[in-house]
Amino acid sequence: MGGRARSVDAGRLFYSIHMARHLITLEASGQSFPCDAGDTVLRAALRAGIAFPYECSSGGCGSCQFERVSGDLEELWPQAPGLTPRARERGRQLACQTVPRGDCTLRVRLKPDCQPSLRPTRRRATLVSRTRLTADMAEFSFRAGEPADFLPGQYALLDLPGVAGARAYSMSNLPNDEGLWQFVIKQIGAGRGGMALFEFLQPGDTIGLDAPYGMAHLRLGNDRDIVCVGGGSGISPLLSILAAAARAPELASRRLLLFYGGRTPADLCAPALLARDEALARRVECVTAISDPAYAGAWEGQRGFVHQVLQGWLESAGDASGYDYYFCGPPPMTDALQRLLMLEKRVPTAQLHFDRFV
Amino acid sequence: MPLDIPGLPPLAAFDVGGEIYVTSNVCTHNVALLSDGFFEGDTIECPLHGGCFNVRTGEATQFPCEVPLQTFPVIVEGDDLYTEIKDR
Repeated sequence: MGGRARSVDAGRLFYSIHMARHLITLEASGQSFPCDAGDTVLRAALRAGIAFPYECSSGGCGSCQFERVSGDLEELWPQAPGLTPRARERGRQLACQTVPRGDCTLRVRLKPDCQPSLRPTRRRATLVSRTRLTADMAEFSFRAGEPADFLPGQYALLDLPGVAGARAYSMSNLPNDEGLWQFVIKQIGAGRGGMALFEFLQPGDTIGLDAPYGMAHLRLGNDRDIVCVGGGSGISPLLSILAAAARAPELASRRLLLFYGGRTPADLCAPALLARDEALARRVECVTAISDPAYAGAWEGQRGFVHQVLQGWLESAGDASGYDYYFCGPPPMTDALQRLLMLEKRVPTAQLHFDRFV
Repeated sequence: MPLDIPGLPPLAAFDVGGEIYVTSNVCTHNVALLSDGFFEGDTIECPLHGGCFNVRTGEATQFPCEVPLQTFPVIVEGDDLYTEIKDR
Protein backbone atom coordinates (compact mmCIF):
# COMPACT_ATOMS: atom_id res chain seq x y z
CA MET A 1 0.00 0.00 0.00
CA GLY A 2 2.70 2.42 1.11
CA GLY A 3 4.87 1.30 -1.77
CA ARG A 4 2.08 1.88 -4.22
CA ALA A 5 1.46 5.38 -2.91
CA ARG A 6 5.14 6.21 -3.21
CA SER A 7 5.24 5.03 -6.78
CA VAL A 8 2.23 7.22 -7.63
CA ASP A 9 3.96 10.22 -6.05
CA ALA A 10 7.15 9.46 -7.92
CA GLY A 11 5.12 9.18 -11.10
CA ARG A 12 3.45 12.54 -10.48
CA LEU A 13 6.77 14.12 -9.69
CA PHE A 14 8.29 12.76 -12.87
CA TYR A 15 5.23 13.91 -14.80
CA SER A 16 5.36 17.46 -13.45
CA ILE A 17 9.10 17.83 -14.09
CA HIS A 18 8.68 16.37 -17.53
CA MET A 19 5.82 18.74 -18.33
CA ALA A 20 7.44 21.82 -16.87
CA ARG A 21 10.64 21.69 -18.88
CA HIS A 22 11.43 21.50 -22.55
CA LEU A 23 14.77 20.85 -24.12
CA ILE A 24 16.10 23.35 -26.66
CA THR A 25 18.89 22.13 -28.96
CA LEU A 26 21.11 24.35 -31.10
CA GLU A 27 21.56 22.76 -34.49
CA ALA A 28 25.12 23.82 -35.22
CA SER A 29 26.76 22.66 -31.97
CA GLY A 30 24.24 20.06 -30.81
CA GLN A 31 24.31 21.91 -27.47
CA SER A 32 21.10 21.51 -25.44
CA PHE A 33 19.63 23.45 -22.55
CA PRO A 34 16.39 23.27 -20.54
CA CYS A 35 13.57 25.80 -20.83
CA ASP A 36 10.95 26.05 -18.07
CA ALA A 37 7.36 26.08 -19.27
CA GLY A 38 6.42 29.66 -20.10
CA ASP A 39 10.01 30.89 -20.30
CA THR A 40 11.19 32.39 -23.59
CA VAL A 41 13.90 30.82 -25.75
CA LEU A 42 16.16 33.81 -25.11
CA ARG A 43 15.84 33.85 -21.34
CA ALA A 44 16.31 30.07 -21.12
CA ALA A 45 19.46 30.29 -23.25
CA LEU A 46 20.96 33.06 -21.10
CA ARG A 47 20.03 31.21 -17.88
CA ALA A 48 22.06 28.31 -19.29
CA GLY A 49 25.02 30.63 -19.94
CA ILE A 50 24.69 30.52 -23.73
CA ALA A 51 25.88 33.49 -25.83
CA PHE A 52 22.53 33.93 -27.59
CA PRO A 53 22.52 37.23 -29.53
CA TYR A 54 20.19 39.88 -28.04
CA GLU A 55 19.87 43.50 -27.04
CA CYS A 56 16.45 44.77 -25.94
CA SER A 57 14.67 41.55 -24.82
CA SER A 58 11.45 43.40 -25.66
CA GLY A 59 10.65 42.50 -29.28
CA GLY A 60 11.90 45.80 -30.65
CA CYS A 61 15.42 45.42 -31.97
CA GLY A 62 15.52 42.12 -33.91
CA SER A 63 18.93 41.06 -32.57
CA CYS A 64 17.71 37.69 -31.24
CA GLN A 65 16.33 36.27 -34.51
CA PHE A 66 16.65 32.53 -35.04
CA GLU A 67 15.35 29.90 -37.45
CA ARG A 68 13.17 27.06 -36.27
CA VAL A 69 14.48 23.67 -37.38
CA SER A 70 11.91 21.52 -35.56
CA GLY A 71 9.52 21.63 -32.62
CA ASP A 72 6.39 23.48 -31.58
CA LEU A 73 7.00 27.14 -30.72
CA GLU A 74 4.50 29.76 -29.64
CA GLU A 75 4.99 33.41 -30.61
CA LEU A 76 3.98 35.75 -27.78
CA TRP A 77 3.88 38.84 -29.99
CA PRO A 78 3.53 37.89 -33.67
CA GLN A 79 3.52 41.56 -34.77
CA ALA A 80 6.70 42.45 -32.84
CA PRO A 81 8.40 45.32 -34.71
CA GLY A 82 11.80 43.63 -34.42
CA LEU A 83 10.83 41.05 -37.05
CA THR A 84 10.63 42.32 -40.64
CA PRO A 85 8.41 40.83 -43.37
CA ARG A 86 11.55 39.46 -45.03
CA ALA A 87 12.62 37.73 -41.80
CA ARG A 88 9.11 36.31 -41.37
CA GLU A 89 9.16 35.02 -44.96
CA ARG A 90 12.33 33.15 -44.13
CA GLY A 91 10.70 31.55 -41.11
CA ARG A 92 12.70 33.46 -38.53
CA GLN A 93 11.37 34.27 -35.06
CA LEU A 94 12.45 36.45 -32.14
CA ALA A 95 13.88 34.43 -29.26
CA CYS A 96 12.67 37.04 -26.75
CA GLN A 97 9.07 36.60 -27.95
CA THR A 98 9.02 32.81 -28.44
CA VAL A 99 8.00 30.17 -25.91
CA PRO A 100 8.58 26.47 -26.67
CA ARG A 101 5.59 24.14 -26.31
CA GLY A 102 7.81 21.07 -26.46
CA ASP A 103 11.38 20.07 -27.24
CA CYS A 104 12.74 21.97 -30.21
CA THR A 105 15.83 22.54 -32.37
CA LEU A 106 16.92 25.95 -33.64
CA ARG A 107 19.50 27.53 -35.88
CA VAL A 108 21.21 30.70 -34.61
CA ARG A 109 24.64 32.30 -34.84
CA LEU A 110 25.88 32.79 -31.29
CA LYS A 111 27.60 36.08 -30.41
CA PRO A 112 30.49 35.83 -27.91
CA ASP A 113 29.82 39.38 -26.62
CA CYS A 114 26.43 38.19 -25.38
CA GLN A 115 27.84 35.48 -23.12
CA PRO A 116 26.26 36.31 -19.74
CA SER A 117 28.82 36.70 -16.97
CA LEU A 118 25.93 36.63 -14.50
CA ARG A 119 23.08 34.34 -15.46
CA PRO A 120 19.62 35.89 -15.17
CA THR A 121 17.20 34.49 -12.60
CA ARG A 122 13.60 35.22 -11.62
CA ARG A 123 12.54 36.54 -8.21
CA ARG A 124 9.64 38.38 -6.59
CA ALA A 125 10.33 41.93 -5.43
CA THR A 126 8.31 44.30 -3.26
CA LEU A 127 7.89 48.00 -3.97
CA VAL A 128 9.49 49.89 -1.08
CA SER A 129 9.20 53.46 -2.29
CA ARG A 130 8.50 55.69 -5.26
CA THR A 131 10.18 59.09 -5.29
CA ARG A 132 9.18 61.76 -7.79
CA LEU A 133 12.16 63.27 -9.65
CA THR A 134 10.42 65.36 -12.32
CA ALA A 135 6.86 65.81 -13.62
CA ASP A 136 7.10 62.50 -15.50
CA MET A 137 10.00 60.62 -13.86
CA ALA A 138 10.33 58.77 -10.58
CA GLU A 139 12.83 56.55 -8.81
CA PHE A 140 11.37 53.18 -7.83
CA SER A 141 12.94 51.04 -5.10
CA PHE A 142 12.15 47.34 -4.88
CA ARG A 143 13.42 44.81 -2.36
CA ALA A 144 13.91 41.09 -2.93
CA GLY A 145 14.96 38.29 -0.60
CA GLU A 146 18.32 37.54 -2.15
CA PRO A 147 21.31 39.74 -3.12
CA ALA A 148 20.91 42.07 -6.11
CA ASP A 149 23.57 40.69 -8.46
CA PHE A 150 24.16 42.64 -11.65
CA LEU A 151 26.81 44.66 -13.45
CA PRO A 152 26.40 48.45 -13.36
CA GLY A 153 24.55 49.43 -16.56
CA GLN A 154 22.50 46.23 -16.90
CA TYR A 155 18.71 45.98 -16.91
CA ALA A 156 15.90 43.88 -15.46
CA LEU A 157 12.72 42.54 -17.06
CA LEU A 158 9.75 43.38 -14.88
CA ASP A 159 6.43 41.52 -14.84
CA LEU A 160 3.90 44.11 -13.74
CA PRO A 161 0.35 43.41 -12.55
CA GLY A 162 -2.14 43.86 -15.38
CA VAL A 163 0.57 44.24 -18.04
CA ALA A 164 1.06 41.67 -20.80
CA GLY A 165 4.72 41.03 -21.60
CA ALA A 166 7.79 42.06 -19.66
CA ARG A 167 9.13 45.63 -19.52
CA ALA A 168 12.87 46.35 -19.53
CA TYR A 169 14.23 48.90 -17.04
CA SER A 170 17.87 49.61 -16.19
CA MET A 171 19.01 49.63 -12.59
CA SER A 172 20.15 53.01 -11.23
CA ASN A 173 21.84 51.71 -8.06
CA LEU A 174 24.85 49.49 -7.41
CA PRO A 175 24.77 45.73 -6.96
CA ASN A 176 24.21 44.95 -3.28
CA ASP A 177 23.69 42.15 -0.78
CA GLU A 178 20.51 43.72 0.62
CA GLY A 179 18.43 42.84 -2.43
CA LEU A 180 17.69 46.47 -3.32
CA TRP A 181 16.80 47.16 -6.96
CA GLN A 182 16.32 50.79 -7.98
CA PHE A 183 15.14 52.20 -11.29
CA VAL A 184 14.65 55.70 -12.67
CA ILE A 185 11.57 55.37 -14.88
CA LYS A 186 9.79 57.82 -17.12
CA GLN A 187 6.05 57.66 -17.63
CA ILE A 188 5.46 57.79 -21.36
CA GLY A 189 1.89 58.66 -22.33
CA ALA A 190 -0.79 56.47 -20.81
CA GLY A 191 0.98 53.18 -21.64
CA ARG A 192 0.04 50.19 -19.53
CA GLY A 193 3.55 49.71 -18.11
CA GLY A 194 3.69 53.32 -16.95
CA MET A 195 0.14 53.24 -15.61
CA ALA A 196 0.89 50.09 -13.62
CA LEU A 197 4.05 51.58 -12.12
CA PHE A 198 2.93 55.16 -11.58
CA GLU A 199 -0.78 54.77 -10.76
CA PHE A 200 -1.68 51.29 -9.55
CA LEU A 201 1.39 49.85 -7.83
CA GLN A 202 1.57 50.72 -4.12
CA PRO A 203 4.37 50.19 -1.58
CA GLY A 204 4.09 46.61 -0.33
CA ASP A 205 2.89 45.29 -3.72
CA THR A 206 5.05 42.64 -5.42
CA ILE A 207 6.15 42.23 -9.01
CA GLY A 208 8.22 39.68 -10.94
CA LEU A 209 11.84 40.74 -11.50
CA ASP A 210 14.08 38.80 -13.88
CA ALA A 211 17.69 39.97 -14.09
CA PRO A 212 20.37 40.77 -15.03
CA TYR A 213 20.35 41.43 -18.79
CA GLY A 214 22.26 43.66 -21.19
CA MET A 215 25.75 44.32 -22.50
CA ALA A 216 25.99 48.07 -21.84
CA HIS A 217 27.73 47.56 -18.51
CA LEU A 218 30.79 49.27 -17.09
CA ARG A 219 34.06 47.89 -18.48
CA LEU A 220 37.10 48.17 -16.28
CA GLY A 221 40.57 47.16 -17.36
CA ASN A 222 41.57 50.01 -19.67
CA ASP A 223 42.92 53.49 -18.98
CA ARG A 224 40.44 55.59 -20.92
CA ASP A 225 38.31 58.37 -19.46
CA ILE A 226 34.56 57.72 -19.37
CA VAL A 227 31.92 59.72 -21.22
CA CYS A 228 28.26 59.02 -20.41
CA VAL A 229 25.52 60.50 -22.58
CA GLY A 230 21.81 60.32 -21.89
CA GLY A 231 18.40 61.89 -21.81
CA GLY A 232 15.27 61.28 -19.76
CA SER A 233 15.26 57.98 -17.88
CA GLY A 234 18.45 57.09 -19.76
CA ILE A 235 20.08 58.48 -16.62
CA SER A 236 19.21 55.26 -14.79
CA PRO A 237 22.00 52.93 -16.03
CA LEU A 238 24.41 55.87 -16.33
CA LEU A 239 24.00 56.62 -12.61
CA SER A 240 24.90 53.02 -11.80
CA ILE A 241 27.89 53.06 -14.17
CA LEU A 242 29.16 56.38 -12.79
CA ALA A 243 28.63 55.34 -9.16
CA ALA A 244 30.67 52.18 -9.76
CA ALA A 245 33.34 54.05 -11.75
CA ALA A 246 33.65 56.72 -9.04
CA ARG A 247 34.33 53.99 -6.48
CA ALA A 248 36.65 51.77 -8.54
CA PRO A 249 40.25 52.17 -7.27
CA GLU A 250 41.62 51.49 -10.77
CA LEU A 251 39.61 54.44 -12.11
CA ALA A 252 40.68 56.88 -9.38
CA SER A 253 42.62 59.10 -11.78
CA ARG A 254 40.12 58.84 -14.64
CA ARG A 255 37.82 61.67 -15.75
CA LEU A 256 34.12 60.84 -15.48
CA LEU A 257 31.85 62.95 -17.66
CA LEU A 258 28.08 63.04 -17.99
CA PHE A 259 26.25 64.80 -20.82
CA TYR A 260 22.59 64.94 -19.95
CA GLY A 261 19.78 66.50 -21.95
CA GLY A 262 16.10 67.30 -21.63
CA ARG A 263 13.54 69.56 -23.25
CA THR A 264 13.54 72.18 -20.50
CA PRO A 265 15.43 72.67 -17.21
CA ALA A 266 12.52 71.02 -15.34
CA ASP A 267 13.38 67.70 -17.09
CA LEU A 268 16.98 67.66 -15.86
CA CYS A 269 17.06 65.44 -12.80
CA ALA A 270 20.74 64.50 -13.18
CA PRO A 271 22.39 67.28 -11.11
CA ALA A 272 20.20 66.51 -8.07
CA LEU A 273 20.85 62.78 -8.41
CA LEU A 274 24.60 63.36 -8.57
CA ALA A 275 24.52 65.75 -5.61
CA ARG A 276 23.01 63.20 -3.21
CA ASP A 277 25.97 60.79 -3.62
CA GLU A 278 29.24 62.18 -2.28
CA ALA A 279 31.41 60.12 -4.64
CA LEU A 280 29.40 61.18 -7.68
CA ALA A 281 29.27 64.81 -6.60
CA ARG A 282 33.07 64.86 -6.23
CA ARG A 283 34.04 62.94 -9.37
CA VAL A 284 31.50 63.52 -12.14
CA GLU A 285 31.73 66.53 -14.46
CA CYS A 286 28.16 67.11 -15.58
CA VAL A 287 27.18 69.04 -18.72
CA THR A 288 23.44 69.69 -19.07
CA ALA A 289 21.58 70.81 -22.18
CA ILE A 290 18.02 71.76 -23.05
CA SER A 291 16.60 71.14 -26.52
CA ASP A 292 13.42 73.25 -26.54
CA PRO A 293 14.36 76.39 -28.53
CA ALA A 294 11.17 78.10 -27.34
CA TYR A 295 12.16 77.90 -23.69
CA ALA A 296 12.56 81.51 -22.60
CA GLY A 297 13.23 81.13 -18.88
CA ALA A 298 16.56 81.50 -17.16
CA TRP A 299 19.11 78.95 -18.37
CA GLU A 300 22.88 79.04 -18.13
CA GLY A 301 23.66 75.56 -19.48
CA GLN A 302 24.02 74.37 -23.07
CA ARG A 303 21.31 74.46 -25.72
CA GLY A 304 20.63 71.83 -28.39
CA PHE A 305 20.36 68.07 -28.48
CA VAL A 306 22.77 66.34 -26.18
CA HIS A 307 24.64 64.64 -29.05
CA GLN A 308 25.26 68.07 -30.59
CA VAL A 309 26.60 69.32 -27.28
CA LEU A 310 28.91 66.31 -27.09
CA GLN A 311 30.03 66.96 -30.66
CA GLY A 312 30.95 70.53 -29.76
CA TRP A 313 32.82 69.37 -26.67
CA LEU A 314 34.75 66.74 -28.67
CA GLU A 315 35.98 69.44 -31.08
CA SER A 316 38.06 70.83 -28.24
CA ALA A 317 38.76 67.58 -26.40
CA GLY A 318 41.33 66.15 -28.76
CA ASP A 319 41.20 62.52 -29.83
CA ALA A 320 37.66 61.13 -29.51
CA SER A 321 39.12 57.61 -29.47
CA GLY A 322 40.61 58.28 -26.05
CA TYR A 323 37.28 57.71 -24.27
CA ASP A 324 34.90 54.89 -23.46
CA TYR A 325 31.31 55.90 -24.24
CA TYR A 326 28.17 54.73 -22.47
CA PHE A 327 24.83 55.97 -23.70
CA CYS A 328 21.17 55.43 -23.02
CA GLY A 329 18.22 57.35 -24.39
CA PRO A 330 15.65 57.47 -27.17
CA PRO A 331 16.59 55.83 -30.52
CA PRO A 332 17.16 59.15 -32.38
CA MET A 333 19.79 60.01 -29.75
CA THR A 334 21.57 56.64 -29.86
CA ASP A 335 21.52 56.69 -33.68
CA ALA A 336 22.95 60.21 -33.80
CA LEU A 337 25.66 59.28 -31.29
CA GLN A 338 26.63 56.20 -33.27
CA ARG A 339 26.89 58.23 -36.48
CA LEU A 340 29.00 60.84 -34.73
CA LEU A 341 31.32 58.48 -32.87
CA MET A 342 31.57 55.49 -35.21
CA LEU A 343 31.56 57.16 -38.62
CA GLU A 344 32.76 60.69 -38.07
CA LYS A 345 35.12 60.31 -35.12
CA ARG A 346 36.11 56.71 -35.91
CA VAL A 347 35.94 55.55 -32.34
CA PRO A 348 36.40 51.74 -32.29
CA THR A 349 33.00 50.06 -31.86
CA ALA A 350 34.35 48.16 -28.84
CA GLN A 351 34.44 51.51 -26.98
CA LEU A 352 30.73 52.25 -27.51
CA HIS A 353 28.39 50.69 -24.96
CA PHE A 354 24.61 50.90 -25.27
CA ASP A 355 21.54 48.70 -25.52
CA ARG A 356 19.07 49.56 -28.21
CA PHE A 357 15.56 49.98 -26.83
CA VAL A 358 13.07 50.76 -29.55
CA MET B 1 33.05 39.10 -40.39
CA PRO B 2 33.83 42.51 -38.87
CA LEU B 3 37.21 44.15 -39.51
CA ASP B 4 38.03 46.62 -36.77
CA ILE B 5 41.18 48.49 -37.64
CA PRO B 6 42.24 51.45 -35.49
CA GLY B 7 41.79 54.73 -37.33
CA LEU B 8 39.51 53.29 -39.98
CA PRO B 9 35.71 53.25 -40.01
CA PRO B 10 34.18 49.82 -39.25
CA LEU B 11 34.58 47.44 -42.22
CA ALA B 12 33.16 44.01 -42.94
CA ALA B 13 34.48 41.19 -45.12
CA PHE B 14 32.11 38.79 -46.89
CA ASP B 15 32.86 35.47 -48.59
CA VAL B 16 30.77 35.05 -51.75
CA GLY B 17 31.56 31.59 -53.07
CA GLY B 18 35.26 31.91 -52.21
CA GLU B 19 35.56 35.50 -53.41
CA ILE B 20 36.14 38.08 -50.63
CA TYR B 21 34.35 41.44 -50.68
CA VAL B 22 34.97 44.32 -48.26
CA THR B 23 32.33 46.92 -47.44
CA SER B 24 31.56 49.41 -44.73
CA ASN B 25 30.16 47.51 -41.73
CA VAL B 26 27.65 50.22 -40.96
CA CYS B 27 24.13 50.16 -42.39
CA THR B 28 23.42 53.38 -44.31
CA HIS B 29 19.88 53.46 -42.97
CA ASN B 30 20.26 53.36 -39.22
CA VAL B 31 23.86 52.62 -38.20
CA ALA B 32 23.54 48.97 -37.18
CA LEU B 33 26.57 46.70 -37.64
CA LEU B 34 26.00 44.56 -40.72
CA SER B 35 28.31 41.81 -39.45
CA ASP B 36 25.55 41.05 -36.90
CA GLY B 37 23.07 40.51 -39.75
CA PHE B 38 22.11 37.62 -41.98
CA PHE B 39 24.27 36.78 -44.98
CA GLU B 40 22.85 34.78 -47.90
CA GLY B 41 24.54 34.38 -51.28
CA ASP B 42 25.77 37.92 -51.97
CA THR B 43 23.15 39.69 -49.84
CA ILE B 44 23.66 41.01 -46.35
CA GLU B 45 20.48 41.71 -44.40
CA CYS B 46 20.78 44.32 -41.68
CA PRO B 47 19.90 42.92 -38.23
CA LEU B 48 17.97 46.03 -37.28
CA HIS B 49 15.27 46.76 -39.88
CA GLY B 50 15.84 43.97 -42.40
CA GLY B 51 17.08 46.19 -45.22
CA CYS B 52 19.55 44.54 -47.62
CA PHE B 53 22.67 45.29 -49.63
CA ASN B 54 24.48 43.45 -52.37
CA VAL B 55 27.98 43.13 -50.89
CA ARG B 56 29.65 42.93 -54.32
CA THR B 57 28.28 46.23 -55.59
CA GLY B 58 27.06 47.94 -52.41
CA GLU B 59 23.64 48.40 -54.01
CA ALA B 60 20.74 48.77 -51.56
CA THR B 61 18.37 45.98 -52.58
CA GLN B 62 15.69 45.97 -49.91
CA PHE B 63 13.74 48.72 -48.13
CA PRO B 64 14.35 50.57 -45.82
CA CYS B 65 17.94 50.74 -47.13
CA GLU B 66 18.18 53.22 -50.00
CA VAL B 67 21.66 54.71 -49.86
CA PRO B 68 24.27 52.32 -51.30
CA LEU B 69 26.87 50.79 -49.04
CA GLN B 70 30.47 51.83 -49.53
CA THR B 71 32.56 49.02 -51.04
CA PHE B 72 36.34 48.71 -51.19
CA PRO B 73 38.60 46.96 -53.70
CA VAL B 74 40.19 43.77 -52.36
CA ILE B 75 43.52 42.22 -53.23
CA VAL B 76 44.23 38.78 -51.81
CA GLU B 77 47.89 37.79 -51.54
CA GLY B 78 48.30 34.37 -49.96
CA ASP B 79 46.69 34.56 -46.51
CA ASP B 80 46.71 38.34 -46.47
CA LEU B 81 43.91 40.57 -47.55
CA TYR B 82 44.58 44.11 -48.72
CA THR B 83 42.10 46.84 -49.34
CA GLU B 84 42.42 50.43 -50.43
CA ILE B 85 40.73 53.09 -48.32
CA LYS B 86 40.78 56.63 -49.61
CA ASP B 87 40.44 59.05 -46.75
CA ARG B 88 37.92 61.80 -47.14
